[in-house]
Amino acid sequence: MPGLLEIHNLSKSFDATKVINDFSMEVTEGTLCCLVGPNGAGKTTTMDLITGRIKPTSGKIVFANEDITAKHEHIIARAGIGRKFQVPAVLRDMTVRQNLEVAYSRQTNPFWNLFKFRVTGLKQKLDEIATLAGLTDRLNDRAGILSHGETQWLEIGMVLMQEPRLLLMDEPIAGMTEGEIEKTARIFKDLRKTATLVVVEHDMGFVREIADEVVVMHMGSLLAQGTIQQIEANPRVRDVYLGEQEAA
Amino acid sequence: MGNLYHNKTAQWLTYAVFFAGFAVIPMTVDDSFLLNQLATYGVYGMLALSISLCWGFGGILNLGQGIAFGLGAYGMAMTMQMQTQDESNPIPPFMLNNSLDHLPMLWQPFQNTYVGMILAVAAPTLFCAVFGGIMFRARVSGPFFAIMTLAMLSAFYTIIIDRQPYTGGVNGLTPPSSLQFAGYEVDPYSPTAYWVVFGFLLGATVIAKLITQSSFGLVTQAIRDDSERVRFLGYSVAGYETVIYTVSGLIAAIAGCCWVMLVQYVSPAQLDVGFSLSMVIWAAIGGRYSLLGSILGAFIIQGAQSYLGDTFLATWLLILGGFFIIVVRFLPNGLASLVESGLGLFAAKRGPASAEPNGDAKPIPAE
Repeated sequence: MPGLLEIHNLSKSFDATKVINDFSMEVTEGTLCCLVGPNGAGKTTTMDLITGRIKPTSGKIVFANEDITAKHEHIIARAGIGRKFQVPAVLRDMTVRQNLEVAYSRQTNPFWNLFKFRVTGLKQKLDEIATLAGLTDRLNDRAGILSHGETQWLEIGMVLMQEPRLLLMDEPIAGMTEGEIEKTARIFKDLRKTATLVVVEHDMGFVREIADEVVVMHMGSLLAQGTIQQIEANPRVRDVYLGEQEAA
Repeated sequence: MGNLYHNKTAQWLTYAVFFAGFAVIPMTVDDSFLLNQLATYGVYGMLALSISLCWGFGGILNLGQGIAFGLGAYGMAMTMQMQTQDESNPIPPFMLNNSLDHLPMLWQPFQNTYVGMILAVAAPTLFCAVFGGIMFRARVSGPFFAIMTLAMLSAFYTIIIDRQPYTGGVNGLTPPSSLQFAGYEVDPYSPTAYWVVFGFLLGATVIAKLITQSSFGLVTQAIRDDSERVRFLGYSVAGYETVIYTVSGLIAAIAGCCWVMLVQYVSPAQLDVGFSLSMVIWAAIGGRYSLLGSILGAFIIQGAQSYLGDTFLATWLLILGGFFIIVVRFLPNGLASLVESGLGLFAAKRGPASAEPNGDAKPIPAE
């Protein structure tokens, strides 16, 4: 069975610098894949390439048997890929409620939306997600005044409102408390029943807890792919990544 | 929380009171000159409304709204000009003076009043859709888009002056008689003309208000906030920007038609950079995030200009400039924000729970 997301020989150069170099990976539907690697390994750049924010120099990205290489961001999002950014990107001048409402993007056509005043199913979904994200009391507050942890939750909530088939989470637990991290792990494991996740994370404890599969990147290339046990036993990974972290 | 300013019912009520106030004016005012002047303010109100929709709600600063307004006005003036020509005399006098011996292709559709009026509105709207589409697709935004509109405005201004045989050049067009429509003559000094402008202003305001409250409005506000983020939610930012820019242009084009109906005159001055900038100033002073605030901004500035401008002559521009600086410095969101914070204080005093739509507290800025 082919993976939900397949990346084939992806390369990206900025001027002479190769940021992503012949990188390939595959994510099976219904699994949670963690993308790890030292700083500058190209994790966020890979996310940018998948979601269309930047265009690859060469290579191919296939999502649900459809070539999405270098398509526009909104086309890729409509295909079913939702993304949480490394630096939480929420709509700061709008209320938490409006943020979640906008993210519920069932209808994206501007002409239809001119005549839409009530969105069916929105309220139920919004209540559900707001409860999950613990933002029920904050719905009428401006997103700009939320704490860092709350902002993280809001953005996770926004991605969930989109109901994507593939969720890309870039450092979702940065700035969260121990309890919140546990909650995030629980939610992510639940999500696996209906969706596929790719999580970029530095916290190996968290990765160990949630990952079905781990992909290690180094210098823009694939270093290793496998279960967490295989990865932790891999001497090359220990050299470039885990060893470095222990030393730190 | 609980600020009456953000209560939708209260907003609609305020709009209703505002327009009801305007509806009774022709019944109480006998002075036909004043009535005509108030109607031209209605046209300025429409322009400020179009800026508020595009800039305030869509986040697109448009310094070239004079394009849509001017093209609409020229289309209407051409239609009215052709109404006064007949079989024996099919060519407008200014063309004869410029030694044209036949009616140019460009003018021929305007021989029919209906076709002419439709073109007067459709041509500028189509221009906005195409120009906006190209710009927004290329992700031109912010100050760069503003500069493009400014450049485009200057280009039209120059073309109109340069093509004198077709446009009347600097002199513009002065249709000799008032608009004939469906067998009626619309006297610009009559209550009828006032009602027409009032009707369009009301219609445009209601539609603009509905747009801001629709799902479309929510997405455009999100785009204003962070257009980059909105793309990843699956919305085509260029599509939304093009639509709101085009709707704004449509309103300005209708305003242009109304304006010519009222003053029977159009010249390149309507595409002057200064005039387009003043539309932005009206919205900035009134409050670009408030449709009604922007309309009132236009009334206040143009009203003051009509009455104080004669007293202070050239000094008036200095006064206006000073006023603008004060508003931008101390009230960056315009006079409407004064009402917003005032009602916010009021709601805070009464406690968050007891804020419900209340008949006597209306968020109308000082008129």
